[in-house]
This record gives sequence, C-alpha cells and structure tokens, in this order.
Amino acid sequence: MIRFDDVVVRYPRASTDALNGVSLSASSGSLTAVVGPNGSGKSTLVRALIGRVRLTRGVVRVDDRDASTVDRAELARDVAVVTQREELAFPVSVNEYVQLGRFPHLGIWRAAGTNDRHAIEEAIEAAGVRELRDRPIDALSGGEWQRVRLARALAQGGRALVLDEPTTFLDVGHEMAVFELLSRVARNGLAVLLVSHQLNLVARFADRIVLIHRGVVAAEGSPDDVMRAEILERVYEWPLVVTRDPAVGAPALVPLRSR
Amino acid sequence: MARIRFLILAAALIGCHASEQHADPSPEPRDDYGTRLAFGVAPKRIVSLNPTTTEILFAIGAGDRLVGRSQYDTFPDSAKLVPSLGPALRPSVEAIIDAKPDLVILYASEDNRPAFDRLRQAGVPTVAFKLDSIEQFRRDTRLLGRLTGDSVRALLVVDSVSATLERVRLATVTLERPTVFIPTWNKPIIAIGGGSFMSELLEIAGAKNVYASVPTPSLAVTIEDVVARNPDIVLVGPQTDSTIRTSPIWRTIPAVRDNRVKVVDLDLVSRPSVTLGAAAVSLANLLHPGIFR
Amino acid sequence: MTASRWLLLVLSLVVAAILAIAIGTINVPISAIGDALRGDQSTPALVVRSLRIPRVILATLVGAGLGMSGAALQGTMRNPLAEPYLLGVSGGAAVGAVLATVVGLSFAFVPIAAFLGAIVAVIAAFFVARVAGSRGDARVLLMAGVVVGAFANAAIMVLLANAEPNVVRNALWWMMGSVADATWPQIEVLFGYVVVGGTALALLGRRVDVLALGEDAAAGLGLDVDRSIRDVFILSSLVAAATVAAAGLIGFVGLVVPHIARGFGARRHRTLIVASGIIGATLVVMADLLGRVLRPPAELPLGAVTALVGVPFFLAKLRHLR
Repeated sequence: MIRFDDVVVRYPRASTDALNGVSLSASSGSLTAVVGPNGSGKSTLVRALIGRVRLTRGVVRVDDRDASTVDRAELARDVAVVTQREELAFPVSVNEYVQLGRFPHLGIWRAAGTNDRHAIEEAIEAAGVRELRDRPIDALSGGEWQRVRLARALAQGGRALVLDEPTTFLDVGHEMAVFELLSRVARNGLAVLLVSHQLNLVARFADRIVLIHRGVVAAEGSPDDVMRAEILERVYEWPLVVTRDPAVGAPALVPLRSR
Repeated sequence: MARIRFLILAAALIGCHASEQHADPSPEPRDDYGTRLAFGVAPKRIVSLNPTTTEILFAIGAGDRLVGRSQYDTFPDSAKLVPSLGPALRPSVEAIIDAKPDLVILYASEDNRPAFDRLRQAGVPTVAFKLDSIEQFRRDTRLLGRLTGDSVRALLVVDSVSATLERVRLATVTLERPTVFIPTWNKPIIAIGGGSFMSELLEIAGAKNVYASVPTPSLAVTIEDVVARNPDIVLVGPQTDSTIRTSPIWRTIPAVRDNRVKVVDLDLVSRPSVTLGAAAVSLANLLHPGIFR
Repeated sequence: MTASRWLLLVLSLVVAAILAIAIGTINVPISAIGDALRGDQSTPALVVRSLRIPRVILATLVGAGLGMSGAALQGTMRNPLAEPYLLGVSGGAAVGAVLATVVGLSFAFVPIAAFLGAIVAVIAAFFVARVAGSRGDARVLLMAGVVVGAFANAAIMVLLANAEPNVVRNALWWMMGSVADATWPQIEVLFGYVVVGGTALALLGRRVDVLALGEDAAAGLGLDVDRSIRDVFILSSLVAAATVAAAGLIGFVGLVVPHIARGFGARRHRTLIVASGIIGATLVVMADLLGRVLRPPAELPLGAVTALVGVPFFLAKLRHLR
C-alpha cells in the first residue's frame, strides 16, 4: 500500500545523503517495521512520506499513486502518521486532541457527524485512553501521552498507519499493549509501517523488517531473515548474540559487554 | 562670655544678610536661566534665536547689528534680511560661532542648555530669555536694552506698550467679559493656560481665558473638558478655522455649533513682543466690536 | 466554553460600552443615552453622539481586531508571546505616519500612510524570509519581522532627528495611540477589515488547532503547513495594520487578550479567536474610559493605558504558569 521506490533524500547543506536509494514496501494487512541505528535515516523516511522533506530522486507511492501529486488532505485521509515528537504550546483536553484526528475529513467547514464521532469513540477505546478523556494534555504522563497520540492517529481512519517510535516512554505493559494493538490493526487490514528501536518486540510482532544503515537498506525480510548476529553486529557496531525468546520463539537480540 | 560673643556674631550675620537684601533696590539682573548678566561694551554683532527677542531688538534700534537669527524670526520684515542660522531649539553651535557674535540671545528652554553652556565655554557672551508673560516682556526688554546699549529706546518701547495696554484695559474694564478658549494645537488639543501672556491679553481685552485658573502657559485638554467649560467664544487662526467649524467632534462645543468662532491674526497675538499693544487692541475689537473707532 | 461564560463576556462588553458612553468629563445619565440616540440636540446628547459613541465603536473594533489577530498568531507560532505587530506592522505603520507628518501632508493622509507602511513592512518581512531560504517557516518569518521592525525604528529616529518640534509632537502623539479622533468614515473602513478579517481568522481556527500540534504533525494531518502559516500571518497583519491606521499603536492587547480568553476556558481556536475579539474590545473600551478620567483635563494616551492595564494581567498569568 505504501511503497518507497529508490528514494534518495539529501538535506540542504548536507554533505551526504540521508537516504541513498531506499526501496521498501508496507502492504495492507501486515505490520512492517523499519529499524536501524541512530541517524540511519529512519525518521527521514517518515518525513519524506508526509512531504516535509523533498525527494532528491525516487518516488513515494501510496496505492500506486505518487504521494507528492496527491492532495494532502486526501493523503491524510488514507494515511495516518504519528511523528516522533509533538509538543503542544497550549494544552487542550484529550477529547479535543483526538478529535483533531478527523481534520482531514472535516476541513474548516464541515461539522462532525456520526461517522466522525464513531471513529473517535473507537479510537479512544482501542488506545485504552477512555479514563483520560477530560484531562488536559499537559497533565498526562509520557506514556499516557503516547497512547493519546495513537488514539488520534486511529481516529484519522484511513488504510495505513505510519508511526515513528511510538513506544518511547512506555513501560513494558503499555509497550506490549501498543504492539498488540498495532498487530491487531494490521490483521484488520491496515498497512502498518512502524519505525522502532525495540528490536525484540519488532521481531515478535512484525511481519517484515527493513534494516536501514547509513541511508541504505542493509537487510530486509522476515524477522528470522534479518535478526542474525552477523548482520546486526555489523550494523549496530556492538557485540551481541541472537537467541530465541522462551515465550513464542521469536528471534531475540542480547547485547554483550564490549570487548 | 563665649555665649554672648556667639549671639552677637549670629545677630551680626543675620543683620548683614538682611541688609544685603534691602541695600540694592533692584535684585541682581539675571537672565531666564538664572545666570547673572554683565553689562559692558555694547555688542556689535548680535545673534538672536527667538522671534520675540529678534522683534524687540529691531524695535529698540539694535536690528542693524543682528548677524544671525532663527528660521522662525520673520518679524519685522527687515528681520528676513538677517541670515538665518537654523532652528531656535537645539541650534547649531558651530553656525552661531561662525557668525562671530559678541552677544547671543537664546530661547530659555531646557533644550537649549547644552548650546548655552557650549557657547559660554567658547567665550561667547550668551544669555537666554523666555518671555512668557507681559511682566517678563517688560523686564526682559529693559534688560535687552541694557545689554545692547539701547536702554533709552528700550524704556520708551516698554512705556509705549504699557500705555496702550492700559488704555485697552480701561476701555474694557466695565464691559461684560465673555469666556474665551484658544486652542493652539490639535493632536493633542493644547489650550492657552493662565501662565501665558495671551491669557493676560485676554484679560486686558475684556475677556476671560476659560483655562485662566491653570498656572502653566499651556496645557493639554480634551474636547469634552472644553464642552464642560462651555466657552462663549473660540478663537482660532485662519488655517484651522474651516477644519474646526466643520468637524463633528469640534461641533460638540456649543460655541462652535452656534458659530461663535472668531478668527484672530496669529502673527499678531502669538508673540509677547513690541506688538503686544496692537495685539490687545485687535483682540478687544474682535471680542467687543466697535470699541475702538 | 460554556454558554454562561459567553454570556458573561458579551455582557462585560455591553456594560463597558455603556459605562464608556455615560462617563467622562460630562457625565451623561444612562437614561439620556436613549434620548441622544433619538436625536436630542442638547449638549450632552451631542457629546454622546459625536464624541462618545464613535470612540467606543472605534475602540471596540480596534480591540476586537487586535485580540483576534493575537489569538490566531499565538496558536500558529506556538508561542504565547506572539502578538499582532509581529511582522513589523507597528514599525512600518509608524514609519508611514511619521513620514507623512514630516513631509507635511494633512492629518487625513496619516492613516493611509500608516496602513501602506504596515503593508510594505509585511511584504518586506516575507521577502527577507524568502532570501533567508524559507517561505512559510514561522521562526524565519518571526526573525524577518524583527529585522524589519528594527530597521523601521532606525528610520523613524532618522526622520525625527532633525524634524521641527511640532512634527515630533505630532508623531509621538500618533504613536501613543488614541481613539479621540474617531470619525464615521474611519469606523466604516475598520469595520470592514475587522469583520471580514476576523471572520476569516475564526474560520481558519481549525487549521490553527492543527498547526498548534507542530509542523510535522500538522503535515501528517493533511495541512499545507507553509500556506496555512502564510495565510494566518497575512490576515492577522492586515487586521492589525487596519487598527494601527485607525488608532495608532496600541500595545499589549494582542499579547494579553488571548491569555485572558484561555483563562476563561477557550481552547479550540475558533472559540479562542472569537472570545479574544470580545475580550479585546472590552479591554480597549475600558482603557479608553480610564484614559479619559484618570488625569483630567488631559487624556492619557490609549497605548499607555493598555500597557498599564495589561501588565498586571500578564504578571498574574505568569504566576499562574509556575
């Protein structure tokens, strides 16, 4: 559903490409994870998708259409994006914040209808933030804030969900809840594209993993294909072993002490 | 013994001080900055940066010795022949010194203190006069006369003006006095206050300044305040006449609405100089038509 | 914001307006206001019709324009210190007005010159931002506005340095702000700008809500971020420029009023902008009244009073933030 075709991005006044010919795809009904060390270009991928950074070469396609030619609001109705950071200068209530997710559908003229209210309700329910509805945003903990942001993205509707590091600040329980939610949402037919640091959780939940290193794809495939010690050691430049987790047998990375 | 000596000393000092005050009938002449005046040789090159003092100098016979004036000093007509040295406030000290004067007369506002000090430091005899009131006109004209060596003419001018003023005063003293409002500026509205010679002229001309109770020469007021004081007559200059008559804001003043606005020759009444007498006559005629044939 | 709060805001404005019409050097009993409106020719009625009502209406429009402009800008810039004079509007308008005064144009031309000056300043700010490599980036525009403002201040100093005292007095008086010379033609023009501009800003309120999330998040929600920022800036500046042309520089209103509105519970920008309009109007009407009665017979400049009134409000808000 979302496809990056040989995308090259260089930031203005930079000496190297942030992305140097990256191709990857996230199909409907699956959870695709993008992983890689800091500065590898993961966030640039997300920025390229929402048009905040210009492509030097290559195309980002949504449903086979060039994303840069699609009307932004239409794109936002199809693809919901949760960026890495978000800070509101003026706090609103959680309810009002989640409602903003319907903006691509409502614009400045339309009033919220039953469809919209429905979508908001479901999103709040799915993200598990019902008790937080009336709280002002600046009174939330880091973890609560992340889940509320997720609720907003879910309220946006659409057929794809792109998230950049959605589980920072989340404790183990909430982290698992988010991954389970994303997995469920993917099962229901959405294309979920997830940028994350959490290699082990990604290995458990993702259908496909794309490993980015210095702006190029270093490895891609199923978790078993990508989670190999020799690949990961080279990319992350740290000694590690890959084992199987005792719960479901997914590959699990264990970092070792430095030599 | 010591106590008595102390008391005698103290008494002597107090007595001395008191007698000092009574010994000289006229206090030491000072200009309007408070600096003592020295009267020596009559100056041959005079710079006067003030419309009032320039006009007075011409009237007392010192006009031919003027080598510099301010750009606003246009009375009498012969003053226009004197080279202009620029503004009267914050003048160019270099331009003044360049004219090689042996007497400089400045307008005594705080703005001119720096110029005053610099000229004195450069060795140029400098004085400053303000002339806000009629009494100041009399006093400063006499002082100007002593400074320029034209005391006799100066006294004659002062006496002549005083006589005219007295004549006008006597002619109007029994008449009914209308209250008068004179605006001199629009944004903000500035009115003539009781401390200005214009207020005195109005008294002499048989009227009363609606702001006579305010001791300053001028003050900022609001239209509503003027409406509240309800002057009988509003005096304006020819340029602002039509603006004021037609402005809906000014027309809230009953005098404007009922056409009791009179145009006064600003050139005549805006300077407390030798024209004071003529100004009083003109005002009296305006406010009490037919009083002087 | 609840209905009762709205009612409170509107009532405050109405009460403020009535007080401002009734109170002054000449106190008009409130019953007489009705007579005045019906065409009574007595002096108090004339004062009400020709002096007080135009002032109060002009003050309402100026306050509403500045309040709405400030609310929209604070949300767009995500900065609680943003205010309507941001893009050099005040500096440019002052240059226009001072230039007109120095050159000797009649008073009627000063508002036009001020408006043109403000527009030129805004265009210059956009130009400077473009040269710096960006079109819609809010921070770059802000810096461009500061640069233009600094340049304008320098120009004013140059113009006034050798000007005659009367010119300087005129210029200073204009810069201190006043609704004393309110005339109906002026009111009509400002009405157009404030109502049309304010309505447009309120309609854009939802976009400002989205912009307030940050530029990346806003783009993710389908907003053309650069264009939206530009639209808000242009509309706000137009409205602010129109208020400056009509009444001179009136500071603090655009800065403080949105915070007061938030204190009343307005959060989403459509509500916030409209509430700021009402509160701004009330503030300026009260400030004008205070300016008229605090130091008779003179009138304190409106810009000074709004600052005096605005500062304590602001301090109270700052304490609240800690």
